[in-house]
Amino acid sequence: MNNTTFMGMEIAMRGLYSSQRGMANVAHNVDNVNTPGYSRQVIRQEAARPLLVANSAGMLGMGSDVVGIDRIRDTFLDEKYWSEVQYLGEWEVKSTIIDEMQAIYNEPSENGYTKIISDFYSALQILSTDPSSHSIRAMVMEKGVAVAKYFNSVAKHFDHLQEDLNNMVNAKVSEINSLADQIRELNLQIYNYEVMGNKANDLRDRRTLLVDKLSKLINCSAYEVETGLRLPNGEMETRFVVTISGKALVDHEEVVHLKCESRKDKLNFEDINNLFEVSWEDGNKLHVKSGELKGYLDMRDGNDGLMGLNGEKSPDFKGIPYYQRKMNEFVQVFARTFNEGIIDADGDGVLDKISGHVDGYTLDGNQGIRFFTMLGSDGKPVSSSDFETFLLDYAAKKGIVDDPDTDYDERLLAGYGLLTARNFSISFDIESDPVNNIASSTQPDEAGNNENLKSLLGMRHNPYMFTEGMPEDFIKTLVSSMGVDGQQYMQAYKIQQGITSQLTNRRDAISGVSLNEEMTNLVKYQQIYGAAAKMIQTFSEVLDILVNRLGL
Amino acid sequence: MRITNNMLINTMMLNLSNNLNRTQKYQYQLATGKRIQLPSDDPIVASKALKLRTDVSEIQQYKRNTDDALSWMEVTESTMKQITEVMQRMREITNQAANGTNTGDDILKIQAEAEQLRHQLIDLANVTYAGRYVFSGYKTDKPLLDANGNFNIDILNSEQIKFEIGIGDDINVNVTGSDLFNNGTDALTGEKSGFVDVFDRVIAAMGSDNKDELSNLLGELDSQMNNLLRVRAGLGARMNRVELTANRLDDDYISFTSLMSKNEDVDMAEAIMNLQNEMNVYQASLATGARVIQPSLVDFLK
Repeated sequence: MNNTTFMGMEIAMRGLYSSQRGMANVAHNVDNVNTPGYSRQVIRQEAARPLLVANSAGMLGMGSDVVGIDRIRDTFLDEKYWSEVQYLGEWEVKSTIIDEMQAIYNEPSENGYTKIISDFYSALQILSTDPSSHSIRAMVMEKGVAVAKYFNSVAKHFDHLQEDLNNMVNAKVSEINSLADQIRELNLQIYNYEVMGNKANDLRDRRTLLVDKLSKLINCSAYEVETGLRLPNGEMETRFVVTISGKALVDHEEVVHLKCESRKDKLNFEDINNLFEVSWEDGNKLHVKSGELKGYLDMRDGNDGLMGLNGEKSPDFKGIPYYQRKMNEFVQVFARTFNEGIIDADGDGVLDKISGHVDGYTLDGNQGIRFFTMLGSDGKPVSSSDFETFLLDYAAKKGIVDDPDTDYDERLLAGYGLLTARNFSISFDIESDPVNNIASSTQPDEAGNNENLKSLLGMRHNPYMFTEGMPEDFIKTLVSSMGVDGQQYMQAYKIQQGITSQLTNRRDAISGVSLNEEMTNLVKYQQIYGAAAKMIQTFSEVLDILVNRLGL
Repeated sequence: MRITNNMLINTMMLNLSNNLNRTQKYQYQLATGKRIQLPSDDPIVASKALKLRTDVSEIQQYKRNTDDALSWMEVTESTMKQITEVMQRMREITNQAANGTNTGDDILKIQAEAEQLRHQLIDLANVTYAGRYVFSGYKTDKPLLDANGNFNIDILNSEQIKFEIGIGDDINVNVTGSDLFNNGTDALTGEKSGFVDVFDRVIAAMGSDNKDELSNLLGELDSQMNNLLRVRAGLGARMNRVELTANRLDDDYISFTSLMSKNEDVDMAEAIMNLQNEMNVYQASLATGARVIQPSLVDFLK
């Protein structure tokens, strides 16, 4: 077989096409330099199928052919990224939220707990130097109110924060569901394209990006499973599956959503009402191991692994309920000691009865009442006598009876369990008449007797009041352990940031678009385009000789 | 390794953000003068800061208590000084009356003065400090003696008003009326004050011009005087202790506030240097960043 007349031109034209395709690809890459999740594409170019020449001159080259466009991607790095970015999300949330919590305590500062409790004791000290003074008594009442209000305010801030976190949990769950839906859509599109043997590069990029986002929200793994069937081009047919803790969120075209449902029973006693429980839509229990969602859930529910009211274990983490519980513990012991004088005075691990506010005598000679009580259901402080009824009712409900062998009443001791940082208050009696109701004396009708005040003041320095020590030590321990936790979360976050940014860099190194490279390719393709055009011109001239100059 | 444009940009952004974070830290330190903002910045500093705040506030309170204690004691002391003067005068005129050279008119005058002194003694026993009766023990709202020199209230030596002037450190600031006016024994309402009783007997003896009795009573006046001096010496010793404590508290206050400052205040020179350092790094990274991310092959293709 001889050469056909226009074969050279055909070959040159293929060169034009190939380089044009190459330039178009450069344009595509350059356009998408800043597209998130985009991976650069390269054209797969091959020498076109050669012609078999009959006169045994071998195979005749037929120019070039673009046979495919590939996306440059290292799926190993993707999986690595997914497995790391979930912790980035978790620690990011935790380190941000704990900063907020620290700000609520407002320590160290000139108007935090330390200042307020010091002021309260200072007022008592001043009263002890002049127990008959009416104005100082009013001041003691005001400082007592400040103590109670501080705890109310901290508790309220924690409540608000918990509510915010609850809303965030809801938002994150919707985000996860929406991502799952989008992944499902892309699965279908990709499958439809690829069933014909093509590669849906840009769609795959988009899907990987969605999994990137999903991985930051919750622990998930994503992979393609072979179905066992073969595509028309001979490759194995695959389906894309995303799982959370082993259960499929997306299985090709099927999605199981997550749902948020208000809890009927609270998990923690300290929780606000109607927190969301996150589970699978099909009713299965969801195990969240990491990701932003885990961060929010731990912060919202974490109670140091304490068994919850609904029979579930709370997350083994110091979240809002933990700090609320600690604050409640503080006000219970503080109020109980101050009011009743029930305290381990000598550190033998057994509670003793010393002189509390109820044991003293007031300025008008009456037996002392309870200085601290609680806010009633109307938000107003209840009186000492009503409070006593509440305490005894609470103890009765718990089945506590008085043990005559101890110096104190077990029912009162147990009753203080009903105090919380939220409802802590000074009593109605003190608030309405501090002059006559503060019990400074150990005997009736002794205006200058400050012995009872001195017993109350002595409690401040009792190292056995709390397991953490004195009242100030308790909060100091709480604040500094929160500080240590915050520091830890920040460190974990920074480490995770380092790891993920290193992985992002490695992904970019492989999949990112390099402008220099693209420009080099552009020049390369341009030159080839020129050369191929030159070929056409040359062939044209050759044909000109053949057609026009040969005198027939 | 293949370096792509986005890697350059990401790295630059990350480093700039880290630089700014550090700069912000020093900026905060310099703007507030405090080393930490949140406990997590340095939990140890935070925990120490809380402890020192409590300590300083307690020292201030104990200082106030020592001031209050001292002024109470000073009132007591100056009253007892006046009582001493009354006593001395009483002894003088008793001595005078016991001598045989007085006319009846003289005795009457002496007796009149003695009655005035007795009156003054009762007034001094009911002296007040800021509206509180200093010798009435716990019953600071009630006078100690009535006009007859009888106890107006029950008064026990154990009614000691104690102020706290240190952790677990109490000081008894008052002198009980029983100690001073009843020979150091507890007294019940209506009982005659031992002190006034001696005065009454002196006045009665003057009235009857009983010289032997007056001579005998001189001895009793002396024993009252000794009792008074004993109580004064005790109070003086306590005042001394309070003054020492007050001085120590002043020193403590200075050393604790300076500890507090050392713990949480910024070393300005160091912070300024650190800030300057960070600024240099920040500027360098801006300069290199601007150089690296701008040009590409695009700029050179004609």
